[in-house]
Amino acid sequence: MTSFIYGLLLYIFLMIPPVANLVESIMITHMHMQMPLLVIAGFLMGKLFQRKFPFFFKKWNSNGIPGITLFLIIIIYWTIPRTMDEALTVQSIEVFKFISLPFLAGIPLRDSWSKLSSFGRNTVIIIFMIKYFGMGALYIWWPSQLCNNYLLIDQLTLGWGFVTTGICLLLYLIYVFMIDPSDYE
Amino acid sequence: MGYLFIIALDMEVISVLKNRQTTVSFIVVILFGFVLFYFGTDGFKAFTAETARLNELKEVKPVFPQVTMEDSKGRTYSLSEFVNKYVLITFLYTSCGTVCPQLEKNMGELYDRLPQYVGKDILFLSISFDPTRDDPDRLETYRKAFGSDGDTWRMARIVDKNELEMLLKRFGVIIIPDGNGNFTHNSAFYLVDKTGRLSEVMDYTKIEEAADKIATLIESETGNKK
Repeated sequence: MTSFIYGLLLYIFLMIPPVANLVESIMITHMHMQMPLLVIAGFLMGKLFQRKFPFFFKKWNSNGIPGITLFLIIIIYWTIPRTMDEALTVQSIEVFKFISLPFLAGIPLRDSWSKLSSFGRNTVIIIFMIKYFGMGALYIWWPSQLCNNYLLIDQLTLGWGFVTTGICLLLYLIYVFMIDPSDYE
Repeated sequence: MGYLFIIALDMEVISVLKNRQTTVSFIVVILFGFVLFYFGTDGFKAFTAETARLNELKEVKPVFPQVTMEDSKGRTYSLSEFVNKYVLITFLYTSCGTVCPQLEKNMGELYDRLPQYVGKDILFLSISFDPTRDDPDRLETYRKAFGSDGDTWRMARIVDKNELEMLLKRFGVIIIPDGNGNFTHNSAFYLVDKTGRLSEVMDYTKIEEAADKIATLIESETGNKK
């Protein structure tokens, strides 16, 4: 229950207009702060849903694959340059962002991650790594503005943000493949 | 290693198939994803808002609104001044050091490529979206710098903020001040037809293409008259 309340508080905090406007005014905080925090809010709130509807999750997401796929779809959707722009200019898209990221990405992530095998988890991380390097390259090398609502310099910053995150994921994967935890037990 | 990967993948697939409901929800998720991406990108056509904007403008063909312009010679008029002529429009601000000079240079080249139509069938109009700084004097200097004659290629500002906003909004021009007196903005050649409707939005870096398009449009109309 506590985690639900923390999640809910975070969710409400992110929805306060000045907070939303502030993080959305900078491209990188829009994508790499607001969006992940919305997912985390959903992740924290997820516990309650799991408790309330245990059969639903067990039945329809028995191995976590549908859930993690939904999570991936939602996250990839929100990295399309156009969706970032439209979240700022089209009200319904902004609403969809606040619904989809916590409820269609955060909650499925919570329910699915623990069900995935380590192979499944690493696959998800590999997908993200490839995506982040790809998006980073796109945002860094694209000669013109990808988003009408942000400056070119913001775009470059975001590109490097993607690459940095990609590097972190790569380091994690190297660690996972090189080190056997049982050696240290 | 590769062998292990395939086995692991097989196991994942088998575990999907073992549970019917999960298979169903997996298919539903995939379909949902497809629909989401399909509608989110207008059928995989527009991945940036700029493409979407251009596609939409081409469909909607908005009318140039009633706005009062003041040009570099201090004359004021609305678009009806250019009745029965095509008008090629660009949006700029004279303090711009990056895109605008390129845009205007390209506009000048386009102007030079259409000597047989300029004045008679088509007029050129550069509109400033920075009316506080771009007064007639400044526009006059800018006009001279780009070799526009001030008549068949005019440079004007829209003094009334509301009118300016309305025009920019209708033509989908997005302008973001960067706080240092500069703006980031999207640029294009906007062609307004004889009835005052936006007829084409063209890439300002493809001068040849734009010139051909305009010539074809004008020719097809004069051809119809004969």
